[in-house]
Amino acid sequence: MTAFYDFPNLPGPGEIAFCKLNEVYCCDNRNYGNISTFTNATKNHPVINVTRDIHHHRQTDENISMYIDVEDNLLKKITSVWYKQGFLEALSIAADPTINRESKSLALAATYALKVANVFSAFRYFLQPHLKDIGPKIVANYSNTRAWGHAPIKCLAWHPHTTKIAVAILDDNVRIYCSEVSFVSTLKCKAQVNVSSLSWRPFSASELAVGCEQGVIVWSVDPNSMFTKPSSSNAVLLKRSGHSPVTDVSWSPNGDLLISCSGADTSMLVWDVSMETAVPLRRVAGGGIVFARWSFDASKVFAATSSIIFRIWQTKSWSPERWCARGCRVVAACWGPGDQLLVALPSGAVVGGPVLALCWERGGRHLAVLFEESHLVALPSTMAFQQNFSEGSCLTVAWSSGRVQHFPILYTDSY
Amino acid sequence: MGPKSEIFSQRLVVAVLWNIGLQTLLGVVLVFVIQINFLHPLEWISSTLNDIFGWKMGLNIVLLGFVSFFQAYIYGSYYMMPLPKYFTRFSMFLNMFSVQNSIFGILYALSGYFTMGLYSSLANSEYNNLKKNCQYSDGQCLMEQSLFLQFGGMWMGLYYFLNVHIFGTSILLFPHIYQDKFQQIKLAINNILSSGFKSSVMPVVYYCVFYYLWGSKPRSIVSNVFSLYLEDPPLDQIMNLINSGIWIGLWLYTSLFFVSVYTMRTVFNIVLTEPMKFPIVSDTSLTLHKALAQRSQFIGYLGAQDLRIISMIDPGRRQGIFKLSQPGGHPRNWNSILAEGLGIINDFNTELDNINGDGKPVAIENSIHRNIVNVSPNAGLSYSGKLRNMAQSPKILELKEHKYNKDDTLANAAKEEFNIFLQKLCQKPGISYLFGELTDTKLKFLLSQAQPVMWTCEGLAFIAAASLTEDKYGVVQTDLPTLLSTLINLKQNLDKLSKPGLIPRKHVLNDSFAIKMKSSLTSSVKRSIYKIVTTFSKYIHEIPLDADVKIAIQPFLLCKEA
Repeated sequence: MTAFYDFPNLPGPGEIAFCKLNEVYCCDNRNYGNISTFTNATKNHPVINVTRDIHHHRQTDENISMYIDVEDNLLKKITSVWYKQGFLEALSIAADPTINRESKSLALAATYALKVANVFSAFRYFLQPHLKDIGPKIVANYSNTRAWGHAPIKCLAWHPHTTKIAVAILDDNVRIYCSEVSFVSTLKCKAQVNVSSLSWRPFSASELAVGCEQGVIVWSVDPNSMFTKPSSSNAVLLKRSGHSPVTDVSWSPNGDLLISCSGADTSMLVWDVSMETAVPLRRVAGGGIVFARWSFDASKVFAATSSIIFRIWQTKSWSPERWCARGCRVVAACWGPGDQLLVALPSGAVVGGPVLALCWERGGRHLAVLFEESHLVALPSTMAFQQNFSEGSCLTVAWSSGRVQHFPILYTDSY
Repeated sequence: MGPKSEIFSQRLVVAVLWNIGLQTLLGVVLVFVIQINFLHPLEWISSTLNDIFGWKMGLNIVLLGFVSFFQAYIYGSYYMMPLPKYFTRFSMFLNMFSVQNSIFGILYALSGYFTMGLYSSLANSEYNNLKKNCQYSDGQCLMEQSLFLQFGGMWMGLYYFLNVHIFGTSILLFPHIYQDKFQQIKLAINNILSSGFKSSVMPVVYYCVFYYLWGSKPRSIVSNVFSLYLEDPPLDQIMNLINSGIWIGLWLYTSLFFVSVYTMRTVFNIVLTEPMKFPIVSDTSLTLHKALAQRSQFIGYLGAQDLRIISMIDPGRRQGIFKLSQPGGHPRNWNSILAEGLGIINDFNTELDNINGDGKPVAIENSIHRNIVNVSPNAGLSYSGKLRNMAQSPKILELKEHKYNKDDTLANAAKEEFNIFLQKLCQKPGISYLFGELTDTKLKFLLSQAQPVMWTCEGLAFIAAASLTEDKYGVVQTDLPTLLSTLINLKQNLDKLSKPGLIPRKHVLNDSFAIKMKSSLTSSVKRSIYKIVTTFSKYIHEIPLDADVKIAIQPFLLCKEA
């Protein structure tokens, strides 16, 4: 822990830090302390609180038991499963003796067909072992959010030019909070399941890319519209077979390209969103691409794979430079000013423990590090720096309790 | 092809070489697979090698070379010419039967015939010859299977030609990121193979139906000419056709033909769309602004693409743009690039205006007027082009206006009357169906050429934004008002296209490509404006802008423009 020797001590019991003024942390009581006693910089910032309404929407097993089970006939059951979940699931339904009591011969045929299919899939998993995990599990494994599966806030993203923040919450709704308007838009559509990442398009007021189970959903939310629930006609779903679940999306700093990565896909897709075309970038070795980060001037892209290999792509020629991490996959990375790259490994205990996420402020003065292990009661689950905060820098932290805190770091003129 | 298209022809040659290489590879793989013999692997390999280095393979490669050279010629002539404008059903119909198209049709049929023959001879099939010795009598008999295959080859060539060039539009689409050629081909192979085998099913079915209906005629002609007998059961009976199994062969060879054609297309697209670096200043080679001056031609595309690349990820060459000319100290580089870029955008704008105003000449006149008026109030500060524009005094404006009103001679009046008469005639129901102008097509046509416009917008905007930190002499900033007003103008014209209620129904696009192009263009124009406005947001009030432009950029400043 020697790296922290010049860090201040934790605030006393019952107190939390509200902001940092001229290198001094301002702490106050947890319950009745108020940030406005220290600074007005975040007075107009949206107040985000998701804890209250989460419980109404949470999908649990009790919720499902409310519905009465309807007995369909076998053919209908199989066709509906085939339509919804695919051919293999339909086969397993047909082969299941508890469901299929009517036709023994069909069950037998289905069992053998399943066996053949299993041999094939076993062979496939032997060749591509990274495909074994299923959807949410992959996202949870690779996410930079602590306890992604249970955290009330899955991820958040600040708009690059205005005080507008998008927050993805546990029930996969994405809410947009804005400093100027009091209402909150909620983005929700059928395909938006297991939201893993959010990214606002630079040089656009309205476009938000949401990485989810099926692919990338690009929402265009008119900032002037008064609808709190924009219809799904404002969303475009970009998907490609094999590219699921999407674990990370990121717009290029120029706003022209969108990169989507999937932990289960060895290629990273570069989208031209309005033409809905994608170019896959792929090289031998490395397994699924977990996340990608653009450098500030869009000249380089960092891509982390699920193995020890990571790559740095030059965007001029789109050719990669291959690097190997020591012993473990890269967990978090971020670019700083002047093409500096910071890479974090879970085992590399240089700074004081396994790192979960990294966040570098645009000006390059502050770096936020989220550690995987901590002895504190409330844990931060994810965080982001506001990008247009002119007074200093503002770190927004989503806590595991569902509270979202804006933590301004300010310097007065005299300092 | 003139000297300007030197780059294009060079690329075509490169593409042909790549293509020959890949086709040879395809042939080798075919030979290897067909002679498969797991029991005697040594024999298999030696016979394959024998075939590969035999004279037959050499001949085939030469033939392949010919085929791909003339396909390159066809591609070249489709891409080199500015797209023909056919806005009425009648002219589109006439265009189908133009001399060029019929020649190309014949060439494609021949190429299909050759390719088919090529692959069947590589596969050592017995259906290479039309003749064979009769089994049950003396003399020569007709080998109908090989006739079937050869006709099939021509059919496939024609089918592909009709599908791609007549009923489809061949627009050269530039990919949004450009990877290494080898990588791109590697990525495309899978797609080429699967789509080749899939898309060959339908033409085979069509051909079998055709042969069932008409097959007896070519057979009788051929057997008469060569005086051959028909010994086997005729193939225009369904059962005979199915039993002979020749349709499987046809399907295989058709698939190979499609695979080879797709390979060629892919290779051509990859080689032709490679970004090119134009020098900013040069005495010998083509400079960037001269490339941009080619507008909608191929070089113009490359120039616009290069401008965008420079503006985004090439700070070294950006410096070249901001430099002043050595004797004199004029910002020539920037000025010439800006003039060409604005020219591209303004031309597009005028066309859009035309469509928005439903092709009335009034609209054009207005737009010209507006452009002049737009610039004039800040005559002291904004001057576009190479020189300080002295022509923006009110007197000249009057003169110009006068000129517009002057054209009232008798001949013109007669011409106008005739045009009105024609327009009225065209509105009669039956005639309007054939000869009436299709606005939808016009818009589609315009949008299909929007790619360089997008690149130019983004290129100019990003260079302007970069100038804030990189431009030492303030070369770019004097032109910001012109650039912004041009972009805003384009944006407003695009908005008019999609404003509900204002446009007649015929403007509604049903072509998914055009819709995507439109949204792409809109998004890129908005992004360009955002880029300039957000970069200069602190200084925006010091930029001398027109009142209406100032109003138009307000939502961009507040980040409220969707």
